[in-house]
Amino acid sequence: MSRIVVTGMGVISSIGNSVEENRSSLKNAVCGISKIDENFPSRFAGVLPFAQIHTSTENLQKQLNAYEPGVTRTSLLALHAFEEAITSSRLTAAQITSYDTALIGASTVGGICLTDQLYADANAATGGSEYLQSYDGASVNMYLQKRFGVGGIINTINTACSSSANAIMYGARLIKSGRAKRAIVGGVDCIAKFTLNGFNSLFILSDEICRPFDAGRKGLNLGEAAAFLILEREEDCTEKNILAVLSGYANSNDAYHPSSLSDDGDGPYLSMSQALHIANLTAKDISFVNAHGTATENNDEVESKAMLRVFNKPPAFASTKSNIGHTLGAAGAIEAVYSILNIMHQEVYPALNFSNPIPSTGLIPVQAYSAMPVQHVMSNSFGFAGNCSSLIFSRA
Amino acid sequence: MMFIHDTVCISPQQSYLQETLFSGSNEIKSPVKNILYAIEPSYEMIPPGILRRMGRAVRLGIGAALPLTKKEGKPFDGIIIGTSMGGMEDCVKFLNQIIEYNEGTLTPTNFVQSTPNAIAGQLGLMTKNNHYNITHVHRGFSFENALLDVDMLLNDDKNRTYLVGAADEISSYNYNIERLAGGYKTEPLTGNNLFNSLSPGTIAGEGAAMFIINGDAPKAKAAIKAVHIFQTENEEELRKQIQHFMQAHIPQSASCLLLSGENADSRYQHYYHCCESLMGTSSSIARFKHLSGEYPTASSFAVWLAAEILDRQQLPAFCVKKQVNNAIESVLVYNNYKGIQHSLVLLQKA
Amino acid sequence: MEATQTQLKSQLKEQIVKHLNLLSVKPEDIKDDEPLFGEGLGLDSIDSIELIVLLQREYGIDIKDPKEGRKVLVDINTMAAYIEQHRTK
Repeated sequence: MSRIVVTGMGVISSIGNSVEENRSSLKNAVCGISKIDENFPSRFAGVLPFAQIHTSTENLQKQLNAYEPGVTRTSLLALHAFEEAITSSRLTAAQITSYDTALIGASTVGGICLTDQLYADANAATGGSEYLQSYDGASVNMYLQKRFGVGGIINTINTACSSSANAIMYGARLIKSGRAKRAIVGGVDCIAKFTLNGFNSLFILSDEICRPFDAGRKGLNLGEAAAFLILEREEDCTEKNILAVLSGYANSNDAYHPSSLSDDGDGPYLSMSQALHIANLTAKDISFVNAHGTATENNDEVESKAMLRVFNKPPAFASTKSNIGHTLGAAGAIEAVYSILNIMHQEVYPALNFSNPIPSTGLIPVQAYSAMPVQHVMSNSFGFAGNCSSLIFSRA
Repeated sequence: MMFIHDTVCISPQQSYLQETLFSGSNEIKSPVKNILYAIEPSYEMIPPGILRRMGRAVRLGIGAALPLTKKEGKPFDGIIIGTSMGGMEDCVKFLNQIIEYNEGTLTPTNFVQSTPNAIAGQLGLMTKNNHYNITHVHRGFSFENALLDVDMLLNDDKNRTYLVGAADEISSYNYNIERLAGGYKTEPLTGNNLFNSLSPGTIAGEGAAMFIINGDAPKAKAAIKAVHIFQTENEEELRKQIQHFMQAHIPQSASCLLLSGENADSRYQHYYHCCESLMGTSSSIARFKHLSGEYPTASSFAVWLAAEILDRQQLPAFCVKKQVNNAIESVLVYNNYKGIQHSLVLLQKA
Repeated sequence: MEATQTQLKSQLKEQIVKHLNLLSVKPEDIKDDEPLFGEGLGLDSIDSIELIVLLQREYGIDIKDPKEGRKVLVDINTMAAYIEQHRTK
């Protein structure tokens, strides 16, 4: 069986508009989280911290020359990352439109970023906005499909905060099964009054900058981002620069609670151990874990316990949510990009704002940038409804 | 090849468990103000403590799935659900709270229930199932991607058994959005005569269909031989894709019933004509949108209907558009969603 | 005093049943000292947040920390006592 390799990637986040900018920010411990802009239409503007991309929707439209009616900020962020990914992989127009190029994306917010417009349209308060067909998660990928004429299987996955990890997994499986020769996979989410209030109603938003794996953590900060990766079969890429191999993936369900993880972390334990099994690796082969690490009380303790179950002595780990917040539907994809950067540059990036370990587990994340041998990186994503996924990327 | 071993369908028609349309005595329900609402069962299998929180789509999906999980008796090897919007009603209820209470203290239940993965997740939770669990939400391809997913899983290991299905609801909110977008007919239909009313727009519907699917032929109700999805607004491209699919998978079109997703929307009727013309003159043609209404995962109702037709070897008069007296060896479901998303699902006798 | 407290408790029971959509529970069946969580009514952590919202909307009581809430949301007696002390409407 041929290996699935990554030949290109693109990212836009609160710490940079490209893969290179993101890497430089990660190396320099840049935190993209700050109080939401005063002009964001919410009472939390200027109050709650958020990892925002400081380019206005209008400027994104201008930069990307994207003036299609009904185009949303979510779709624009996706377009930004998508263009970088296809350029870096040097995909031709003929390849993109070919029947064997799949596009598998993920978004939990979709056009619901336009919370006030949706409110008006759903209650038929006006004659209808231009966004009537833009509210669902599918609208993002339908927009990209139409703009680029992507010719193969198109899908959108929603498993909450693990959505884009599952999009990557689905794309890889389409290639393995012969249904696609290459897959453009990723995810996007942007700031929305809807999700902000949703997470706030569950009391899991922190009013301070988040502190993943710290004993005193107070919850998560939301963030906006988009990331896409190009997956191909290794044998088709003899002329290409292979960034990493996608060697393992798994999806499991915690089957415990609609919005929190079980005490022992059965779902996380299963996704991590099954991903190792698929990759034909043992726990000690993993050099680094890009943890889900949302900095909620529940997630970080349970993920730590599950890592102890899987690894006994966990390898170096950190959560990049201390840089870019929790980007929901984009999280799995952007953290996949960061995992691949770990491998490409043989380096790991620090978790920020950590001071004391969680008493029950004692685990301490990486706290300083360091160059080190990185052979295999595991990336975790866990979502509401118990949806847990783990991916493993390996050095080519 | 995927084999359907059991099905449960909640739809606007009598389709739940034994009381189906096929019994003969059941009348076809007509839309009310151009909406076909699902006939909800009493949900005796859902504990009241859990039912109280469920939104409509979640209730429909779980209500259809639980009889199958009970019958299987052990956890499925995966739960794979397609839903375009999931709990749209809860989503807008939460939105209304945000506005009404000016982002104050809000109740989280609507938010948690509004995420599309609530159906698959709640099923995993209720049946203590730690296995593969996923939700496909690509609008008119949500259910088709669920089928593709299972097909790939069975290719990896054909000894597995999966719960696969789809659910979507029609709430006043998504009805409003779709109506404003011109999706529904402006003239009210009387009785069930959808196909006599060719004009822009269609009628709204909802429902849930769930399937037990594995790789074993014996005792199956029907087999799914092939699934194909593509997007185009070009009729020539559509023709090419259907021809290619038929050449690859349908050697005998005479014994293949076309189950057409025709929805009396004059803007898209030509796509269905194109597909009919490719089937040839000796195929029977049936329709289903007057039974289910239009919704993004309506093709799951069609796959349920197709499996019943194949299993019973009975083509009910209420869905016939054109009948040729051939034995029905296979059923091709062709569906189009909003003029762009086209899907082909080929079923055959097991 | 006795009468108003009884009245408050029965009003509270009705509000809980309505707010949490407790389909199979009659307000009068809830005992004053019956635990709301675990054994007893069998509510869970999402319900505890729903009850915090109820206290906010019906009685103008702001509980910012769910942990604080858990001390109040023990049974009808503790809730009623807390409401009497802290209500702003």
